[in-house]
Amino acid sequence: MSKSSASASGHALWSKMPKANTELFALTYGSLVTELIRDYDNADEVNSQLDRIGHSIGVRCVDEFLSKAEVGGINIPPCQTMKDTADVVARIGFRMFLGVSAEVANHAPDGSAFSLFLYDNPLSIFVELPTAEEAAVISGGRGGCDLSKIKYSNIYCGVIRGALEQVNLKVDCRFVRDV
Amino acid sequence: EFLATPTIPPTTDPPNHAVESNVYNVASLVARNSSQMVVHSLHIFDRKGKTLFSKTYSKAAAIGQQQLRQTSQGPAEEDPVDEQRKLVFGMLFSLRELVGSLAPEGEKGGLHSIRTGASTLHNYETLSGVRFAMYTTNDVGGADASSSSRRSSAAAESNVSVRDALRHIYTELWVESVIKSPLYRPGEMSTVGQRSSGSGGGDAFDIRSTNFEKKLDSFLQSMPWFR
Repeated sequence: MSKSSASASGHALWSKMPKANTELFALTYGSLVTELIRDYDNADEVNSQLDRIGHSIGVRCVDEFLSKAEVGGINIPPCQTMKDTADVVARIGFRMFLGVSAEVANHAPDGSAFSLFLYDNPLSIFVELPTAEEAAVISGGRGGCDLSKIKYSNIYCGVIRGALEQVNLKVDCRFVRDV
Repeated sequence: EFLATPTIPPTTDPPNHAVESNVYNVASLVARNSSQMVVHSLHIFDRKGKTLFSKTYSKAAAIGQQQLRQTSQGPAEEDPVDEQRKLVFGMLFSLRELVGSLAPEGEKGGLHSIRTGASTLHNYETLSGVRFAMYTTNDVGGADASSSSRRSSAAAESNVSVRDALRHIYTELWVESVIKSPLYRPGEMSTVGQRSSGSGGGDAFDIRSTNFEKKLDSFLQSMPWFR
């Protein structure tokens, strides 16, 4: 799909979705992550729980995406290459559900991997994760989890993984750099 | 003076008869032009071939299923209707591969409907692998040569409208009721054949826990061609 038609489709689909308040959304997610940290106290465990939650969200997102595109008369052709998949996910998918587009870059030479850049992450607008030293200070008393190792927006990884699984693409999604 | 087509009554009839036969003939003319289809049944398959949902609507289909059950020679645990559904899925799957390889380069080919002498199977499938298959009767038959062009366009219209209906079932009913339900998990849906097995599918998601069936029934009732 060409760039402009993909962005136009994304924008059209976004305008049809029911909207929620961004701050409410971000704060709800923040409280979810806080609860997870309190329950598990282990950064890796929290990350994998976020990934699992994202996975079940992603599984539902695909059908909703396809059905809204059908209704809106937007034709999403089956992707021929990984590049097409990347474009569809970033430009239309992210745009439709979050209202922000992601940029695609860094395609691996054999077409098997790509990077997504999310410049405006709506989940982390109020969030600042501590660096390693600060985290050591905070968790020193409790001997608990290392807050700097938490991938705050790891839910995205799960969403992408779950969604692509429904269209027969097994992917591995990792955060390279977070807030 | 008599007209060529038999639907217009001769004008020399006494007034009462003319009115009655007029009404009757107009009705039959209208009925012949509109789709007189009967929906036999609807099946929903997932990507792996499991039947997610299946319902028969017409009496003919229900009788057929009963006869199949009674006359089946297979082992006692296998439900012959289940086997039949698996065969339907296999047929749809193979035909899809065939259609895909026959389609011209770059065009998205899909299997829309299969028409046999007895009935028509309308098929709608999505990229996520969900397949909706609806059995209906064939369109208005009859050997009226003069209205054959009208008949074929009516047939085309009714084919398109069934496809639209299946699309609507997918987007409005399936996605809203089933996918958005918090209990939905794609790999673990309980299939239709498991209903009688009792506690076997404890964790699996059963479509009966959503109101998909009720919404589906009310939607189909509202369709003009559904009987």
